[in-house]
Amino acid sequence: MSPADEPAPAGGAAVPSPTRDLARGLRNIAEHGLTIVPDVLVGDQLRRARDALYRAAESDRARSREQKFGLDYAHDDTNQRVWNVLSRDPVFEDLAFHRIAVDYVKAVLGWPALLGNISANITGPGGGEMVLHADQIFVPEPWSSEPQGLNVAWCLDDFTEANGATRFVPGSHRLNRAPTPDDAQTATAPMEAPAGSAVVFESRVWHKTGHNHTAAERRAGVFSWYTRPIYRTQENWFLSLRPEIRQFASEEMLVLLGYRTVGLGLVNGASPA
Amino acid sequence: MTADSLAAAKAQLREEGWCVVPGVLDAAGARQALDRLWAAADASERRGVPTFMPVLDPNASNVRVFYLLELDPLFRELIQHPTALALVGSLLGDSFLISNFTANIARPGSRSMALHSDQSLVVPAPWAEPWALNIVWCLTDVSFENGATLYIPGSHRWRSRSEVPPDADRRLRPFEAKAGAIVAMDGRMWHTSGANITADQDRALLFGYYTRAFLRPQVNWNACLSAQTQASLDPRMRGWLGLDVTANTGEVADLRYLEDQFARREAPA
Repeated sequence: MSPADEPAPAGGAAVPSPTRDLARGLRNIAEHGLTIVPDVLVGDQLRRARDALYRAAESDRARSREQKFGLDYAHDDTNQRVWNVLSRDPVFEDLAFHRIAVDYVKAVLGWPALLGNISANITGPGGGEMVLHADQIFVPEPWSSEPQGLNVAWCLDDFTEANGATRFVPGSHRLNRAPTPDDAQTATAPMEAPAGSAVVFESRVWHKTGHNHTAAERRAGVFSWYTRPIYRTQENWFLSLRPEIRQFASEEMLVLLGYRTVGLGLVNGASPA
Repeated sequence: MTADSLAAAKAQLREEGWCVVPGVLDAAGARQALDRLWAAADASERRGVPTFMPVLDPNASNVRVFYLLELDPLFRELIQHPTALALVGSLLGDSFLISNFTANIARPGSRSMALHSDQSLVVPAPWAEPWALNIVWCLTDVSFENGATLYIPGSHRWRSRSEVPPDADRRLRPFEAKAGAIVAMDGRMWHTSGANITADQDRALLFGYYTRAFLRPQVNWNACLSAQTQASLDPRMRGWLGLDVTANTGEVADLRYLEDQFARREAPA
């Protein structure tokens, strides 16, 4: 890519300009740790995904079913997580198994790979930040030289610096280690992207939820998390998946959900489906 | 066994990558387990699950049984035997999973499978720490002649494939033990099954395979175990089999809340 394509770095940090080109996106991931794919969800599809997510979030809140995450800010009652959105509405199947997402998974992680989890994070006004982390911190160090997972963040609202866009440390994946408390002050840049974009970042990138300092804006992101097939998934799909998803699943979906498998996750020494 | 001998076994496992604990089952107990294993092998064949795996073994003289935990409550006891779990916990820590529990009966004429370490087959290098171990139950006396598992002393310290020496096959030594013993082996240890060169002796081993809890089990226990068997399991056993909703979210290094973790707040962006 030419330097002319690059926006002014945020806070001295480089954020690559959005691209629909896979090869260029992969170079962005190798260099910066992430790439932004614009206009993946548009029109009705974006509206349906956004409506479905806010409806699920409202339902969870009304029924006191919200679950916090260990890396969330302690007394933050504004930000909201919605777990396992895959089982909440079929529109999220379109995200988890989206051609663009799976192409990045295959290119970065290889194949087969697993869908570890797909959950949402909605920031609200005054919402606090999350602990700076890398997604593969469950893997003990020293880490091998390749990323063990990939996160695809679906922006269902515009992600802006003001409304709590996920913040990351550009290039931090190349350190090949998790951040320590001493790294908490490291400069971060917001993953700013319009609604409908997918932000693809590899599992060693240091990042956190941003602080939402707007008066009245919420911003919703759905995070599809994929890993190499050797890791235990975050969601136990065999317990929680809506049965019809498996029933109508493509071969590729069965692999990502762990039903079509080789070597691990077997039943009687063979693939369960 | 005494507390001293268990401590010595744990120390040897940590340092040398293996240990043998004799007499975990007495002679009658080992004989009974062997009888139940053959019954399980028959039951497995009746269910249509073959006991010969061409991908693993050169010929049908190796009898593999995959369904132990479902087929007989005796095996559900052995996989959580206190001595076995004490060794597992000492090497892997408190957060581990039961990844698999299988049998391999080497009958006369069975031959060696490929040299490997369990970790090298699955997880990327560097192999700095044990992420897995085998607890091997000897249901018969095990000797070099009847196909004892062969291991390479010190190979659990090899951190990558490039450290495997060209003469690795000549460094192999047998794990010899009496019926009723268990052998614990670090997941980084390079090993292979032995060849059974006897005329008439079976060598029967059970392999309890345990891993750190962030790794995907070899068996999908949710899909594998019947509803009846699952209902018979206590909460600890359900946790070790990963049957419940707590999946790979429980072993994050530092889960303190932000303001506890950091003395001062990061300046607002």
